[in-house]
Amino acid sequence: MTPESASLGGRPAQSRAPRRRRAVRRVAWWFLAPALAIYVLVIVYPMLAGIWYAFTDWNGLDPDYRFVGLANFRRLAGDPQAVSSLKMTFVFAIAIALLQNLFGLALALALNERLRLRDPLRLLFFMPVVLTPLIISFLWKYIFSTQGPLNTVLAMAGLGAWQLSWLGDPMPAVASIVIATLWQSVGLAMVIYLAGLQSIPAELTEAARLDGAGPWQVLRFVTLPMLAPAMTVTIVNSLITSLKLFDQIYVLTGGGPGYATETMSTLIYKTAFTFAETGYGSAISVVFTFAVAAVVLAALHVLRRREFEHG
Amino acid sequence: MSGVTIQGVRKRFGAVEVLHGIDVQVDEGAFAVLVGPSGCGKSTLLRMVAGLEEIDDGEIRVGGRVVNDVEAKDRDIAMVFQNYALYPHMTVAENMSFALRLAGAPKAEVRNCVLEAARILGLEPLLERHPRQLSGGQRQRVAMGRAIVRKPKVFLFDEPLSNLDAKMRVQMRAEIKALHQRLRTTTLYVTHDQVEAMTMADIVVVMHAGRVEQIGAPLALYDEPANLFVAQFIGSPAMNVLRGTWTADGGSSRLVTPEGIVLPVDGGGPPVEAGTPLAVGFRPEHLELHDTGLDAEVVVVEPTGSETQVLMRCRGTELVAVFRERFKSRPGETVRVRPATDHLHYFETSQGRRLAAAG
Amino acid sequence: MARARGFALRAALLETGMLLTGVVFAFPLYLLLTLALKPQSSWASDPLGLPTQLFFGNVTAAWTQAHLASAMLTSALVVVASTVILVVLGALAAYWIARRVGRLSYGVYLFFIAGMILPFQLALIPLYSTMRELGLLGSPASLILFYPGLKLPLTIFLYAGFIRSLSRSYEEAASMDGANQWQVFWHVVLPMMRPITGTVVILNGVFIWNDFLTPLLYLSGSRWATLPVVIYTFVGQESGDMGLVFGGLLVAMTPVLIAFFVLQRHMIKGFAGGLKG
Repeated sequence: MTPESASLGGRPAQSRAPRRRRAVRRVAWWFLAPALAIYVLVIVYPMLAGIWYAFTDWNGLDPDYRFVGLANFRRLAGDPQAVSSLKMTFVFAIAIALLQNLFGLALALALNERLRLRDPLRLLFFMPVVLTPLIISFLWKYIFSTQGPLNTVLAMAGLGAWQLSWLGDPMPAVASIVIATLWQSVGLAMVIYLAGLQSIPAELTEAARLDGAGPWQVLRFVTLPMLAPAMTVTIVNSLITSLKLFDQIYVLTGGGPGYATETMSTLIYKTAFTFAETGYGSAISVVFTFAVAAVVLAALHVLRRREFEHG
Repeated sequence: MSGVTIQGVRKRFGAVEVLHGIDVQVDEGAFAVLVGPSGCGKSTLLRMVAGLEEIDDGEIRVGGRVVNDVEAKDRDIAMVFQNYALYPHMTVAENMSFALRLAGAPKAEVRNCVLEAARILGLEPLLERHPRQLSGGQRQRVAMGRAIVRKPKVFLFDEPLSNLDAKMRVQMRAEIKALHQRLRTTTLYVTHDQVEAMTMADIVVVMHAGRVEQIGAPLALYDEPANLFVAQFIGSPAMNVLRGTWTADGGSSRLVTPEGIVLPVDGGGPPVEAGTPLAVGFRPEHLELHDTGLDAEVVVVEPTGSETQVLMRCRGTELVAVFRERFKSRPGETVRVRPATDHLHYFETSQGRRLAAAG
Repeated sequence: MARARGFALRAALLETGMLLTGVVFAFPLYLLLTLALKPQSSWASDPLGLPTQLFFGNVTAAWTQAHLASAMLTSALVVVASTVILVVLGALAAYWIARRVGRLSYGVYLFFIAGMILPFQLALIPLYSTMRELGLLGSPASLILFYPGLKLPLTIFLYAGFIRSLSRSYEEAASMDGANQWQVFWHVVLPMMRPITGTVVILNGVFIWNDFLTPLLYLSGSRWATLPVVIYTFVGQESGDMGLVFGGLLVAMTPVLIAFFVLQRHMIKGFAGGLKG
């Protein structure tokens, strides 16, 4: 009895003419359409329009305006306030991003130990992250005021010499804004690092200890490398957020004294709405956008490479 | 034509063709098992029948209707997935009634169908549970329940038992078979386990590297494998195969292997000329202890109670034998074995095809 | 022996150090609570001490004078409407991006991600003009249109990542059960995304509730105002009466504080996990 084998031979295969591909791997276009429509309407189109206005002298209201080429950008380059704002944007962004991560990491490492107060402390440090920055800024404004609680406490602690005009002098003003912003952001870095720490397998640190590593060495050679992905996330996120910082500066100093604490965000707002110089404001925005893109992409590149190297 | 017909089907992923012209006919009510090693294309073929993969060439018919351009949801086919794919946020009852509810069936009818399927599979006490509260075997049954509630034309199973432990697998094998005998729905069942194929199938389709190697009833494949691949894939432990040259001089013919094993064959024998390369196979259970046999050193003895598997080495070649009677020799000792002459399989060596015995 | 003692000493030091850090960190909140609940007249004499008697005058006066109730309702309206739109549209778009095979979907994905990084300032004035042309200025509708546009990139980022990690077999099973694409999405995929929807709602909800600049721009001069805008105006008006101001600040903070205490675990998880890049 011969075995049945129907594969090779038998009836010739009927070949079908090339036919339309059925939508097995496709998803209906109307899944995407509404989101795309809103996004283009609210973000993309206005951004492109903004780029266009940077080359005009539009004041935001009149329908008439002229194309002025690079005039706005030249003015920007010669405007000390604008240049200072660009500088301060980076100063704030980098200072806040660095300190936020440093303190956040320190808090996370401390809270990762089995302290009795760990849970309430974690709540305490994280809570300001969700509070309204505008409201908190008014609180800090009061604290930093010359007759306010901070100076009062310093006097009571015998540190009278440390009393400053926290919001009135340029350097203390920058510090005050940094402190106020840090208070509301360090908790975020902390919880991200905590999550990262808890995902490190205990066996790794135990193995390192058995190999003779002391606590600092464990930190340096095991913990920190394994936190590289978390670090990328927090640093990039803090950069993006602090580059756009607005509420705190607007409330605490309004950009002052003079324009010591002015950043691109506050300057753009003022130029466009208070002084009705939309064209100029747009030019500043264009520079700002490039600055942000450059900083973030650079940071991503550096951090991702570090992530890769540390496996 | 009823049942499932697969004709000249080809499939490409990018530039690589993974199915090279498949022809399979599954009669209505039959239980067909597609079996083969990983990567042979059996799951891809099943998914093409389901409508989850495009058909690049050829035709698939379900119940006489060409379904190449018919969407999965309209093919009236039910599938049991390897990981069951039970909707985690729905209860068992909701999982089972989903298809009917989508079709807008009246509530009373839905409830009845679900209860009936639940009764058949013993799922009544579980109807209000969620999948995460069920064991592997229970989830398996719910997946089957979801399939049978729809009373489809065809059932498809994609390696449904591979996530279960050994004991559960044996139990579910019997349950699936019993279910089929009860419902008599055409079934296509994919597995890499040839034991499942042998025990469950009406017809077995052995696949390898995108081609069908052989189709037939389980025992037909076992007794008369069409080529070396099928011969060594079906049956566990696998068939022993000796490769060498067919030598015929004097009055006797024999196979001579490069290591020097000489296998005499009296009577019968393949219809080839002397000097041709040849492969001879014999199943482990057809190896017998005999004084005129080959000398082999016992390597490992594995008694399972009902039989004993013995791994032995004959001039460097490993042979496996299965004995019903208790085996007395121990590792290191030498025994004499020979294959039963009327259970030899001959294969030519260029494509591994079976050679019919002469006479 | 000394090792164990050194260990316990270190732990005690850490515990005390962290306790002190916590106390210092909590100072602003302490201040807010105590000053709001003390009559302003007593501030000068006892600037830092606990109230001897809880004084609710500041709080109640601020509540009525600043119209905080209507402001909270407006904020709630904007948050709820925007979040619903974000969840539905974001999930739909993310499904398209994650499940559609091809380079176009990846391009669209990057198109949205760019919106997460680039600052919105460039679009600030042109969008304001558009809102004016559409007649939406002065109405919460402008915000309900704005926030989805602004936050869709983050939302899509979160959803797409989640969907990519979902096994396709559930969708395939639903297809075999007779579901069309919309039904597969609505009955199977969306319910399975509950965890990430939680994160989306929390991250977007907190942001929109707390946002200040855009509502200030779009709603000023109208009878609508969100909570931050109302507080801004209130503080500007009443800056002489710090007690009243603090009363307002405390009341305005309460909804978020309550939400935080009720949802703390979800909030922490949402923020910590949601930003994974």
